[in-house]
Amino acid sequence: MREDVLEHFVRELTGHQNRLYGYIYSLVGDHDRAADVLQETNLALWRRAAEYDPARPFLPWAFGVARMQVLAHLRDRRRDRLLLDAELAELLAEDVQRESAKLDRIQAALRECLGKLSEANRELVERRYFRSEPLEQIAQRAGRTLSAIKVALLRVRRQLGECVQRRLSADA
Amino acid sequence: MQAWRDELEELLLAWEDGTLDDAGADRLRALLRASEEARRQFARWQALNAALWLEGNRVPDAIGGPATEPMGGSVAEAVAEHRTVVFPARDMDEAPLTRRLRRWRSLAVTAVALAIGVVSWSLWNGLARPSAAPFDVASPEVAQAPAASASGAGGVLSGGERAESVASVLPSESRSRGVAVLGRVLDARWAPGEGPREAGDPLLPGVVRLDEGFAQIEFFSGATVVLQGPAELELIAADRAVLRRGRLRAHVPPAARGFTLLSADLQVVDLGTEFGVSVSEDGRTEVHVFDGLVEWSTDGTQPRRLSAGKALVRTGKELLPAGAAAEERFVGLLDLQRQALDEHSERLRAWREWSKQLRRDPRLIAYYAFERQPAGNRRLVCDIEPRDPEKDGAIVGARWVDGRWPEKGALEFKRPGDRVRVHIPGEYESLTFAAWVKIDSLDRLFNSLFLTDHYDRGEPHWQILSSGQLYFSVRPVERGEPGPRDYKALSPPFWNPSLSGRWLHLATVYDYHRRTITHYLNGVRLSHHQVPAEQVVPTRIGTASIGNWSLPTLPDASFAIRNLNGSIDEFALFAAALSDEDIARMYALGRP
Repeated sequence: MREDVLEHFVRELTGHQNRLYGYIYSLVGDHDRAADVLQETNLALWRRAAEYDPARPFLPWAFGVARMQVLAHLRDRRRDRLLLDAELAELLAEDVQRESAKLDRIQAALRECLGKLSEANRELVERRYFRSEPLEQIAQRAGRTLSAIKVALLRVRRQLGECVQRRLSADA
Repeated sequence: MQAWRDELEELLLAWEDGTLDDAGADRLRALLRASEEARRQFARWQALNAALWLEGNRVPDAIGGPATEPMGGSVAEAVAEHRTVVFPARDMDEAPLTRRLRRWRSLAVTAVALAIGVVSWSLWNGLARPSAAPFDVASPEVAQAPAASASGAGGVLSGGERAESVASVLPSESRSRGVAVLGRVLDARWAPGEGPREAGDPLLPGVVRLDEGFAQIEFFSGATVVLQGPAELELIAADRAVLRRGRLRAHVPPAARGFTLLSADLQVVDLGTEFGVSVSEDGRTEVHVFDGLVEWSTDGTQPRRLSAGKALVRTGKELLPAGAAAEERFVGLLDLQRQALDEHSERLRAWREWSKQLRRDPRLIAYYAFERQPAGNRRLVCDIEPRDPEKDGAIVGARWVDGRWPEKGALEFKRPGDRVRVHIPGEYESLTFAAWVKIDSLDRLFNSLFLTDHYDRGEPHWQILSSGQLYFSVRPVERGEPGPRDYKALSPPFWNPSLSGRWLHLATVYDYHRRTITHYLNGVRLSHHQVPAEQVVPTRIGTASIGNWSLPTLPDASFAIRNLNGSIDEFALFAAALSDEDIARMYALGRP
């Protein structure tokens, strides 16, 4: 492989880590396992670096490799009764790929949207999504019922989701 | 539509919370199978989750992206820059690389390719396959185990060792735009806005403003100047600088001949000498030659020579006749060295004093001051008083080198086997780890500071990731038992190659009662983590290694090579959560 091609490859690979992570996480549904699969995917991409054609876009190719890794992972973990089986993951792959491809823009939009949340709502989001605290624990700490927390969280999520979508379409 | 959308979101919320029951899972699957709209909704929901998680894990990055100026900053600055790290999104537009770095990169890439070969080999052999690992470790470790073990399996392999750091850090390689390095610094007060500068800091082109004291500036060309405050020196290139005001003395060895010093209206080209230049507020420039020869010229004039023992003075347009060089007015390297040595030994004395007191601190579980042992003695004395030889460490491989001061020892960990074995009995709650560490490079995914042999309930692992992040974790459940995972306290990256070879004070406090973990660099907090209650357990050590992890009791010892590439010259372990002040004091009194 030529030096400049390899260099290009390395840059693409590292530049798209967030998007690949988003793709894998979306289908695997767990951050720890997603990190595992991302590692496997990176290794797989490395091994196949020679097949990489710099004239073609990197990301679709990388998503394809990631998809195989995710499916293998889901098959390996069949016993764990995961939500998604390989078949359903295949069905979702296209939508997930489209969203993951714009993950950086989503993240940038999200950052601004987070800034608009009230203090309490922001804390709720941080506890659940930054620090992965279980809902039960959040409810206990806040001295509220589990269902009250769920309702509150769903409302904040919807608010965030809509805000992000607005910004994305404004960009486009 | 609203109804199923609400239902879908509720199911997803339960799913990610781990509380979705079988009926709920069936329902969720059915929704996703049946509706395209539901699938689109799912993809958006998950993408937002991923973005939230990435956002929540954004941490300062000393290495990354366009901030590729690790050569430019002091430790404080390196820590100050905030960037995404865990899965860094790199800027695709990079400034042109220098030739040298290109070569480095291509070497690194080749190394990676080689390493991958080894990795796949060991995967096929089932050696490093996470599921085939002889024990259960926390997930990121498992994930990265193949690369780590590849470097072990392959023997020599600086290639394999590089693999992980290249994969994760490659585009952020340090590009040096520096032209000089700050050498000795004595009683220096930097102008406001200069930021703290320390000996060893690389200097970029630009103006150095020294209000007071002395600073030795070592140009990459080999020329060295001693700048005497108040002074302003503009660094232009490795062989070129402008003295705007103040006084300096330049030492130019033959290799650096041609070093050019400019003032407002004078140019001095050195022909291999030692000379002094001063520029006063009113624009009066003096050049004194102590040794050898310089060539000087004013705008557009023919260069003229000035030889040893001579001086010239220029005021405005007027050129005064050369007098005798006044050597005593320019502080030189030797003077600076002498004074710095005094300061050095003063610091060493202060540290020894403090270290003597520390030994009686009842909170200490283990303390190794790393005072040099006679050759052949492979015992690292545990310096707690009253003395407990049971806690002495066994030095394996690691060799004695100079520590923070030349008079003091340190152990250097270089090869995959190097370590200090210790046995520390007992059960504890809070713990504080503190060490003076010199990192040469972070070659491994995990670079050990202190790791228990196993990773069982209550056992702490203290290490540095190849990304330059301090990493502390304690396992909350027995191996193989269900329960919460360990809490991984990851500091922002504090290390980049410009800190290579610099003594750093690292500390981590595990506060059992407050349920917090706090990381420190040079006496200052790097990060503070609140740990969920179920992940906090009492601690124990047992057998452990300083500077390595090897699981020597397991048959497959090639698993996960984690030796530190660097040196340690003090290590303290307390059965207590030390305060910010304690840590800051430890740094202040131990600073070399």
